[in-house]
Amino acid sequence: MVRRTHWSLTGLRYVALSALLGIMVFPMLWMFRVAFLPAGSSLSGSDVLGGGLTLKNFSDLATDGTIVGALLNSAVVGLVVTAGNVLFCFMVGYALARHRTIANKVAFASCLLVLMIPAHVVVIPLYVMAIKSGWYDSYAALIIPWLVTPIGIFLVKQYIEGIPPSLEEAARIDGAGEMSILFRIVMPICKPVLVVLAIQVFVTNWNSFLYPFILTSRASLRTLPVALAMLQGHQAIDWPHLMAGSALAVVPVLVVFFVMQRHILSGIMAGGLKQ
Amino acid sequence: MKRQRLIALLLTSPWYVTFLLFWAFPLVFSFIISLTDYQLLSPDYAWVGFANYRALFSDPDFLHALKNTTIFVAGTIPITTIIALLMALLVHPPLKGRGFFRSGLFLPWITSLVVVALVFTNLYGRGGYVAALGQMVGLTPPENGFLYDNRTALYSIMAMDVWTSVGYYMLIFLAGLQAIPDELYEAAEVAGASRTRQFFSITLPLLRPVAVFVVVINSIKSFQVFIEIFVMTKWKFETATMVYFLYDTGLSNAFKFGYASAAAYVLFAIIALFSLVQLILLRRRGPVW
Repeated sequence: MVRRTHWSLTGLRYVALSALLGIMVFPMLWMFRVAFLPAGSSLSGSDVLGGGLTLKNFSDLATDGTIVGALLNSAVVGLVVTAGNVLFCFMVGYALARHRTIANKVAFASCLLVLMIPAHVVVIPLYVMAIKSGWYDSYAALIIPWLVTPIGIFLVKQYIEGIPPSLEEAARIDGAGEMSILFRIVMPICKPVLVVLAIQVFVTNWNSFLYPFILTSRASLRTLPVALAMLQGHQAIDWPHLMAGSALAVVPVLVVFFVMQRHILSGIMAGGLKQ
Repeated sequence: MKRQRLIALLLTSPWYVTFLLFWAFPLVFSFIISLTDYQLLSPDYAWVGFANYRALFSDPDFLHALKNTTIFVAGTIPITTIIALLMALLVHPPLKGRGFFRSGLFLPWITSLVVVALVFTNLYGRGGYVAALGQMVGLTPPENGFLYDNRTALYSIMAMDVWTSVGYYMLIFLAGLQAIPDELYEAAEVAGASRTRQFFSITLPLLRPVAVFVVVINSIKSFQVFIEIFVMTKWKFETATMVYFLYDTGLSNAFKFGYASAAAYVLFAIIALFSLVQLILLRRRGPVW
């Protein structure tokens, strides 16, 4: 049975959705506009609408190097953390789905426990541990604690539980080793969930602020969000340059989002993405 | 069989290491130092029992942060939940271009919160865009911008929080709406139930678990609000929240690890209690709306 909807109701929906979309997109458009304004513009209505259009803010950032260095840091840390999560969450998720030992039940319970723990509660002990272990101010502190995440394990486990184990059993009878079953047979089947996982981990890591901020002090180790927050720390804010740097932080995520939006939306609706 | 167990252990070892080193140990360690007067600059520390916890509740700064966090959570969560539900209802039924709207409405969530905070610092600023909008409808905006006025600063940040998160919760509600079987509506139609009646008798009751989930994860997030406060109102302590307080006492000026850890545990206890109550509400049958 098709439920008919009056045309005026559809029209109202479009009006409401367009208004909402405007509110959601406007601040981003504003950021991009200001990023191309000549430095020293007043940001008044006439400047924003009629003012100049320049790439100089971006070339200034490139010559200054701070923001570009931070961009590289974010990219390196993000890619390593993402690769680690794809590998380790896959291994752990597979083991939890297929080997139902008591130890694995404990491991899964600890995953669920960590999902419920507010991350900021352990900020002080992690800082003290980083200082004491000499990891403070190093890439290790930015990477190693986040190489495997409970939400990733959870996603992979749920996915593998939905696949019948017949393929793996057939391979085992044919004499295939456990490692080749894991990486040659199961991993390719899991590609959809691993893509969703990779996107979520990368975006979360790319945007994360508190831990990179407290675990490093050297300017050369700052990730992009930290560098941007530091740029703003002066009394007189240079908006065009700051917005140009912000645009650099947003564009990679936007690109990933537009290429992968189906995966991202379906991944979240399947019950994931914890930030 | 033994070999299988060994393989399972090997495969799960990355998680065991991470869990023990970066979650279990810090949690225990944090509790232990919350019972001491441990500080960065004095390596000798003494047991003080629960003195840190007692001191917190007579510390005006902490009570102020607790109050701000409560305002933040109590103010944003109902509004975010209701707007997200309405948005989900708007993008759920078939409509040309609804995928485009879903993506667009979700965009703020994936934007770096630092960037969002910077952009809104500009929009909320003196003579900024929001002030201009306010003047257009005849309101008088705060003289130095919304973030430098104690009457508006926290509420402005709360409005921004709603803006960044509604798109995400909209998607969760949407997943909930898609899980409701069509047959229910068909049966209701046959029985002659109106659209309004269908909404209140089918849609809302079946969305209850989703709504509880949304409120639980949003409150875990909102009790820990920090980035916005740090970036947008750095020079003012009027808007300090609990995580800002623990950053300020533990990691910024005083480096009082023991005292800050006690604050972290109070926050932990509040969040745990809050989640527990909500999960019990979820389990309980009967009308909640």
